Amino acid sequence: MSKHSALNTFGRSGNPAFTRNFENTEAFSQSERMTLDGAVNKTAILLTLCFAGAFAGWNVPALAMPGLIIGTILAFVTIFRSPAKAGSTAPFYAAFQGMALGGITVFAEMQYPGIGIQAIGLTFGILASLLFCYKSGIIKPTENFRLMVFSATMGIAILYLVSFIMSFFGSGIGFIHSNGLFGIGFSVFVVGIASLNLVLDFDFIEDGAEKGLPQYMEWYGAFSLMVTLVWLYIEILRLLMKLRSR
Amino acid sequence: MNAIFFGVLTILSLFIFMNLGKIKASKKQMNRDDRINWDGKRRTNFQKNRARSKIIEGSAEEIDDSIQK
Repeated sequence: MSKHSALNTFGRSGNPAFTRNFENTEAFSQSERMTLDGAVNKTAILLTLCFAGAFAGWNVPALAMPGLIIGTILAFVTIFRSPAKAGSTAPFYAAFQGMALGGITVFAEMQYPGIGIQAIGLTFGILASLLFCYKSGIIKPTENFRLMVFSATMGIAILYLVSFIMSFFGSGIGFIHSNGLFGIGFSVFVVGIASLNLVLDFDFIEDGAEKGLPQYMEWYGAFSLMVTLVWLYIEILRLLMKLRSR
Repeated sequence: MNAIFFGVLTILSLFIFMNLGKIKASKKQMNRDDRINWDGKRRTNFQKNRARSKIIEGSAEEIDDSIQK
């Protein structure tokens, strides 16, 4: 007990921002905090579930569409509704997206044999090399870096959305799907932006572990890494298909 | 050959991710002033601002009006 009655009544500071800060550091014990080990292990669990889902989607390609729809809904639920419940939604997201990826890969393999393993190898190759670049300090994510990557990602999302809506009316933005020089250049750009999103995910996980965020953020960090990996895999697959179709 | 090369690349990359991911980033990466502020709160570098601060450290003296300037 402090001899100052105001401290006893209002705590160390009356400012709500500071009060919340003190609560954050004291509310969680060391075992309940986010760690790098935990985030990596949870990513491994999600990857295993994704591969299991992909195995199912590979053998039953009809599962691709329901997997894609349910996976997308679960992704939005995790992001906008309950990041704290990522531990229960992220495993289902990984499994359902795995089904979708398995089905998509079967269709790609039918047209271009051997393309699936190339896309998987390149996706994980980019993951490992960017992780090395991030950990060693070769790539330094700053606020401007985040702004640039976020703007580019939003731009691509809007372009895809417009193209998707236009496809219902029998037209579309042709160049982004073509196998011409412009189409391939666009795909290379999108793969680059998806790869840079991985750096943001690494920084988010590292920052969370350093600050000792609550343990459920391990699941959220692993989930955000999975979302980026799924996007990167699809974009690499599209790029390889464009290159092979020339 | 294609499958072997990309299969080995996949396994090697996953192995690197599982091991390197658990190691803390380098000091060059961690000790930066321009790091991303993920929690959205203003980050103040007290050491950097100390030199520019207008606060004079020391004990205060009472002004005596009777002293002639």
